Amino acid sequence: MGASSADVGTAAGVETPTARPPAEARWRRLLPWAAGVLVLLACFGLQTQLYTGQERTVTTIFMFVALAQAWNIIGGFTGYASFGQVVFFGIGGYATATLMYHLQVNFWLALVVSGLAAAAFGALIGLPLLRLKGHYFAIATLGVAEGMREVVTNLPDITGGGAGITIPTVGAKASTPYLGNDGFYILFLVLAALAVLVGGLVSRSKFGFALRAINQDEDAAGSMGINTTRAKVTAFALSGFLVGLVGASYAFQQVTIFPERLFDVDITVLMVVMVVIGGSGTVLGPLLGAVALQYLSEYLRQHYTQMHTFILGAIIIVAVILLPQGVVNYAREAARTRQFSLLRNVRRYRL
Amino acid sequence: MTSFVQATLYGLLQGGLLALIAVGFSLVWGVMNVINLAHGAFVILGAYIAWELNSTLGLDPFLGMFVAAAVLFPVGYALQRGLINLVINAPVFITLLLTFGLDLLIVQGMNIAFTANYRSIPTSYAGKSLALGDVRIPLGRLLAFVVAVAVTLLLVAMVTRTRTGLSIMATGMDRGAARLMGIRARHVYALTFGLAVALAGMAGAMVGTVGTFNPAAAGGYTLLSFVIAVLGGLGNMYGALVGGLVIGLVEAWAGQYLSGTWVNALAFLVLVLVLLLRPSGLVGRAFYAARVEV
Repeated sequence: MGASSADVGTAAGVETPTARPPAEARWRRLLPWAAGVLVLLACFGLQTQLYTGQERTVTTIFMFVALAQAWNIIGGFTGYASFGQVVFFGIGGYATATLMYHLQVNFWLALVVSGLAAAAFGALIGLPLLRLKGHYFAIATLGVAEGMREVVTNLPDITGGGAGITIPTVGAKASTPYLGNDGFYILFLVLAALAVLVGGLVSRSKFGFALRAINQDEDAAGSMGINTTRAKVTAFALSGFLVGLVGASYAFQQVTIFPERLFDVDITVLMVVMVVIGGSGTVLGPLLGAVALQYLSEYLRQHYTQMHTFILGAIIIVAVILLPQGVVNYAREAARTRQFSLLRNVRRYRL
Repeated sequence: MTSFVQATLYGLLQGGLLALIAVGFSLVWGVMNVINLAHGAFVILGAYIAWELNSTLGLDPFLGMFVAAAVLFPVGYALQRGLINLVINAPVFITLLLTFGLDLLIVQGMNIAFTANYRSIPTSYAGKSLALGDVRIPLGRLLAFVVAVAVTLLLVAMVTRTRTGLSIMATGMDRGAARLMGIRARHVYALTFGLAVALAGMAGAMVGTVGTFNPAAAGGYTLLSFVIAVLGGLGNMYGALVGGLVIGLVEAWAGQYLSGTWVNALAFLVLVLVLLLRPSGLVGRAFYAARVEV
């Protein structure tokens, strides 16, 4: 959202060398925010029009919007392909579940604590792991996520182990009443909005430009005075915080959680797919990618139950080959250069 | 003491098989800088080919594995030539996603074709075992170990001694220079991928002989290949062998002395520690760090 107005601004600036009135420039800068608020209000309105099943589907879409935005901060802006981001999802979920189960902590308090715990874990493992680059970073994060799942599985006294843990939602032990479909719709909508907001703020801030500089050339970024370690670890922890919040809410929504689901590598892969197909390093891309892919996935699941994963795999392959830079980046480049051919696009990364 | 020797022996035998599973993965990663997330799927595909040959023609799996390799080599060649070569210069996560898409396709395809039931390839001899004092050597695993180590060593010899192998290594070291020397990089890449897929298929046939398999097991073999490739280090053809034996031993000992599934956590702990302390692997050199990508 952020960069689109900037692009339009430069294009207009080339045509008319005289400076545009500041009022108009300000309006253009506000446009994405206004659009965002409108979409948010529309989502609240949409809730009244949905029946229960649809409401759950849309809630899941919101969840993946938040997750994709969170991955975009470390994977898209910074260019560190984390393949273990689900570890924060699991930590957030299990922090909430254990707090609510053992200590009867209020959900809202547990939610915040879970987010902070995930962020702290991100900072802790980020310090050593973010020294690795490329594939090595991807695999190390994957290893951390898989290892963490095993740790959670093997601590049955605290986490319930492989048999799972159930958050008390009724009776005297229930610290917070279950939110129900309507409540979780709003909760995940707020989380998605928060993630988009954070993405938008990062995208325009000095911090965001530091991350982009690291993505392009880390050594050069360091020599320009950017504390690359601090920027990377902050990005990783921030992303972990958002994912942790989503994981905590997911755990409460599901009531009973299992290590296999909360540390499922497919969740990470879905985040990556959504960001890459939408357009990594943009704010609009992960949003569009998450909505489109999750909707498509749900549609395929309902209409082609058995072939669902098969078709999804084929779609990922085709999308990655035809649009390796993502829909949003492709559209922006095409609008600027007037080159719309997808085949031309394929040649970019070909051997 | 006997249990320790037994566990060690079992670990070594398992390690040899793990080495064959991972060697193709390591080769593709080292030469093309591509992490093939569909690697485990090819292992299982090889197991199904050998199983199908065994159940319809009665072919012994230790012969069937050569058929599996022969079937899978052109598949791998075509996939690389037609698909992966298209995104070879893209950022890391593009190739990861492409191979993940392949993994989904193959695993779900196998689910549809063969159902998700566990299977194994029955032989008259795999269940028997030789007794050495108190220690028992399972015959099937011993055979699988011998074949796996022999094939891995053959691959090493092929890569370091034949012109084709040297062109693979040269392309891996510096693609630009290799192309200037007249090496067709597209063909060499496709050859490498075909080779890796064929070896995965062979390993799969043996996996099916010594144990059970189903499509869902594919992801586990991909992860194991990761660990072994990283542990052994890239750019050294013996890396997968060393990594496989180490992981085999670690898992066997941990299975003997640790409770629950802590053994699984241990493999990933080893992985992360090796990455942090010695990213070039146990026997690898900092060989690919200076690689030029053109």
